[in-house]
Amino acid sequence: MSDNEAIRMLIAKSCLTLDDGDFSAYLALCAPDYAYRIKAWSPELRNDMIWLEHDRDGLAGLFATLPEHLQRSGRLSRHVSTATIEARENTEAYDVVSSLIVHHTDLDGRTQTLAVGRYKDTVAWVDGAILLSAREVALETRDLGIGLHVPL
Amino acid sequence: MSARDKSSWEQTPGAPAGHFVSGLVYTDPDIYRDESDKIFSNAWRFACHASELPEANDYRVFDHDGQSLVAMRGEDDVIRTFLNVCSHRGAKLLDQPSGNAKHVTCFYHRWTYDNHGQCTGIPRASGYASDGVKKESMGLREVRTDVLHDLVFITLDGATPPLETFIGPALDRFSEMLSGQPLEVFHYNQAVLECNWKAWHETNMDLYHEFMHVVLRQTQVNAMPMEDRKLIVFEGGHGGSGGDLKAAYDGYEGFAGRGDDVPPLAGMSATDFRFINLFPSTAIISRGTVVRIDTVTPIGPDKALLEMRGLGVQGEPDGHRRVRQKHHNQYWGPFGRNVPEDMVAAESCADSFRHQAGRYQIIARDEKMAGQDDAILRAFYAEWGRRLGRDPGAPV
Repeated sequence: MSDNEAIRMLIAKSCLTLDDGDFSAYLALCAPDYAYRIKAWSPELRNDMIWLEHDRDGLAGLFATLPEHLQRSGRLSRHVSTATIEARENTEAYDVVSSLIVHHTDLDGRTQTLAVGRYKDTVAWVDGAILLSAREVALETRDLGIGLHVPL
Repeated sequence: MSARDKSSWEQTPGAPAGHFVSGLVYTDPDIYRDESDKIFSNAWRFACHASELPEANDYRVFDHDGQSLVAMRGEDDVIRTFLNVCSHRGAKLLDQPSGNAKHVTCFYHRWTYDNHGQCTGIPRASGYASDGVKKESMGLREVRTDVLHDLVFITLDGATPPLETFIGPALDRFSEMLSGQPLEVFHYNQAVLECNWKAWHETNMDLYHEFMHVVLRQTQVNAMPMEDRKLIVFEGGHGGSGGDLKAAYDGYEGFAGRGDDVPPLAGMSATDFRFINLFPSTAIISRGTVVRIDTVTPIGPDKALLEMRGLGVQGEPDGHRRVRQKHHNQYWGPFGRNVPEDMVAAESCADSFRHQAGRYQIIARDEKMAGQDDAILRAFYAEWGRRLGRDPGAPV
């Protein structure tokens, strides 16, 4: 498998594991120094905003508490289309940009688009496995209705 | 005891007047129009924070009572607000939510205004020579604006009493926090909620629903004796915490040490929780190191626009700002642990009242202005009833 194929598969798996609520499988795709962030540009403030930011341990803690929270019912489906994969010089890391669409399907089976944006990922080979080192979710959508307890 | 039949379900709850609210207040179209006429057209309403207009000629567009308004900071440093409508044909003048403009030019026929609201240019004005249309009389419609602790308020009604009278002493306990250091907005998001505006505002007035939030069950409910909590209500329907509530942050995974790495806001400690709900639709909530300001704007009987702001200290080091953002996002924002749960609750109740499956909200908790007393909700609905001339328990 080429590096590009491995990277595309990694990013697709990161979506499917989150969709399935298989958070341990998601974290297994993340490097120990994984950094996750959701950002959005505010035209009201003319500034970037950070809406969620965690390291790997922080995400693990967030996932652990999810069952106790009152959450939006239904299911999310994250769809990605990876657009660019650029190798960083003299490293085994890549910068990857993917388009992201998130749909929400409610308990009655009705699906709506919840959010669009981009994944800006850094991935790297770690001990023979390609892993996510960093993910920035750059959201275009800023009205997320009743919001979310889970990362996108 | 048994389940209730139709007749029993539809009876008013066995609580005194003022201690329950009919579901019709959330759904009835006549009441909705009445609220526009008797509350939103004349009450003072929080528009934005002064830090959203930091420079001369900055502007900030927002909606109120179905109308688009624009607040502008003039070169004289005064913030003025206008209907965001051209005097000529009614086109919307500014469509960006914020920006900087010394002059505003209508895209349609290029009429131009300054940020005092004066019309400064009419192309080919000679065409109006015979009918008396002159730029001197074609200024923008100005809306009364006042600023208190850097909070910009507006009212559409020229006869409404001054802001200080409207607010009374409700913000006194916030004055040091809001003015003791310059604050600025670092977070802003909107959400259109499928519920009446009051259903959202209730989530900020109702302490009893702490039990819904696992974070509050683990950090707040047992952090101090319930009887030591002090609540307070004010004339005009405002109400909040009369003394600080406390939080014990190590009760929730990932929250331990909150406040160790950034100074609290002026007049606060890191574990303080202080809030005030300003009639009709604004809440100011501080958790020691960070402030949130909510404003909810009616869109229809069962649709509301919620705006949420998070504030930190202006000019603070990046490291402090990141920590305050983290503290904000732990509870609030679209990915917070608490706010999405409040939204679920507001929409869930709305769903029941929409077709009158739900009939009443009971707001009868009496804990002598402590604990989880419903007094703030009752004060809000007393003012609501006074303004509309309706009994919230039997409004039609």
